[in-house]
Amino acid sequence: MNVLLFAGLTLRELMRRRLVAAVAILTLVIAVFTAWGMHRLATAVVDGSPISEPAVRATAAAIVILLAFLFSFVVALGAALVGAPAIGESIANGEILAVLARPVRRTEVVLGRWLGTLTALIVYVAAAGGLELIVVRAMTGYVPPHPLDALAYMAGLAAVVTTAAIALATRVPALAAGIVAVMLFGLAWIGGIVEAIGIALGNERLADAGTLVALAFPSDALWRGALFNLQPAVFTAIAANANGNGNVNPFTVTSPMPNALLAWAVGWIVVVLTAGIVAFRTRDL
Amino acid sequence: MPDAIVARALAKRFGRIDALADLTLRVARGECRGFLGPNGAGKSTAVKMLVGLVRPTGGDAEVLGKPVGDRATRARIGYLPELFRYPDWLSAREVLAFHARLLRLEGAPREIDAVLEEVGLRERAGDRVGTFSKGMQQRLGIAVALLGTPEILFLDEPTSALDPVGRSDVRALIERLRARGTTVFLNSHLLGEVERVCDRVCVVDRGRVVAEGTVDALVGESRGVRVQLDDGWHEFDVAPSEIPALVARLVGAGALIHAVEPKHVTLEERFLALVQHA
Repeated sequence: MNVLLFAGLTLRELMRRRLVAAVAILTLVIAVFTAWGMHRLATAVVDGSPISEPAVRATAAAIVILLAFLFSFVVALGAALVGAPAIGESIANGEILAVLARPVRRTEVVLGRWLGTLTALIVYVAAAGGLELIVVRAMTGYVPPHPLDALAYMAGLAAVVTTAAIALATRVPALAAGIVAVMLFGLAWIGGIVEAIGIALGNERLADAGTLVALAFPSDALWRGALFNLQPAVFTAIAANANGNGNVNPFTVTSPMPNALLAWAVGWIVVVLTAGIVAFRTRDL
Repeated sequence: MPDAIVARALAKRFGRIDALADLTLRVARGECRGFLGPNGAGKSTAVKMLVGLVRPTGGDAEVLGKPVGDRATRARIGYLPELFRYPDWLSAREVLAFHARLLRLEGAPREIDAVLEEVGLRERAGDRVGTFSKGMQQRLGIAVALLGTPEILFLDEPTSALDPVGRSDVRALIERLRARGTTVFLNSHLLGEVERVCDRVCVVDRGRVVAEGTVDALVGESRGVRVQLDDGWHEFDVAPSEIPALVARLVGAGALIHAVEPKHVTLEERFLALVQHA
């Protein structure tokens, strides 16, 4: 019950602080730009004749992947910068003191703040990501192979980053927790590239190092899961063909996210959130 | 009925620093206990331990007969922290409504109105906390602490941000709470305030209790009197019971007495002597 109370407080705060309104306006602006660009693509004329429909779709697919890549950064930044203050600020300004003097479990505070933040992020991913895909479809007729799965993986990425930010913020100041969470996301992305290069070069050590990073902070693994679901089959085939068994850049993947890795990511979220709860329960305020 | 607070050798160590070394005290139900000490003496740490926010590194304590931090007992206590800021985007009424839900209060709107009235914030109930002065935030903090009609109220520097009118209001509030039988644990370094409202006082310095007792016992019997004669003020070292005889003697000797002022040792003088000596 108290978990929902804290989750509701978190959501109300985001709305009252006009963050939701600001993000909604920016999302609409980006959607308008996307619509304009996609319209230009669909109506472009090369050597006196319009681009063929397959070429338009292939280009749209590449642009969708690029947009998704940028979107993953926005989602990760948002997850860190919304998640960390959700609990860190109430500790810093002393608000939490009067709250925890009530018959409230500290676990409820962390879970509620996490649930509220995650709900906001999922709504954002679904709304902003969904809007972009609808705009692309309306302008070019292109629809990625599994758009809903891709958005779900993106929400998973948000969950990983925000869980890390919230867990850190139970012990360190909100700003530091947010920055560290973003840095971990960046490191995981670099780790993903290192792994890809290792596979492409047949260097097992390099590939293993990248895999270790993916296990330690599974945001990049989830991004790749999203990518696979956005990528047309022909892209997958080209990537696999061009690079032997592997891929060399963050924009193509050759296989879906393994179920074991997906289970690992879910387990990782549970473990890190639990660690955050334990850290909060055992700290002095 | 168990005592309101029982602490036995309560201690807290942060790294190599003893924030509180050995706090042993007993506060009876309905008592108003002053908790005095200079900055850094460990007062706020002690209060935080008693409300379950800081875990002791030594000793133990009970509040309302239960170990400190007991979740059910926390519904029966009110706490005003020393430093806090409520979310600036909530209104005063919303802050109170949130705490009322944490307390599962029935009849919350009525009680919220009552505590807003009690602290003089009824007119500003719908305004956002972000528009409040420090003093108004403190009044709101007191209102939050009063929600749920607590059996014991921990007030950590309740008047630090208040103007003289606000301080007077808080004193009057504490008097009303005492009359209702609420136990008040008042952490303050405003000695005049403590002297006026508290039954007993506990003085801590550098994490240790250096004195405890009723205000009268702590201050001790004043000795000495100032007498204004034709040629100015004169001081005489006599006990209060010897003052009438002194005056009679002076009159008998033909002196014209304009004023007689028994010397009064204040709690502040006693406090300074205690902490400087310690």
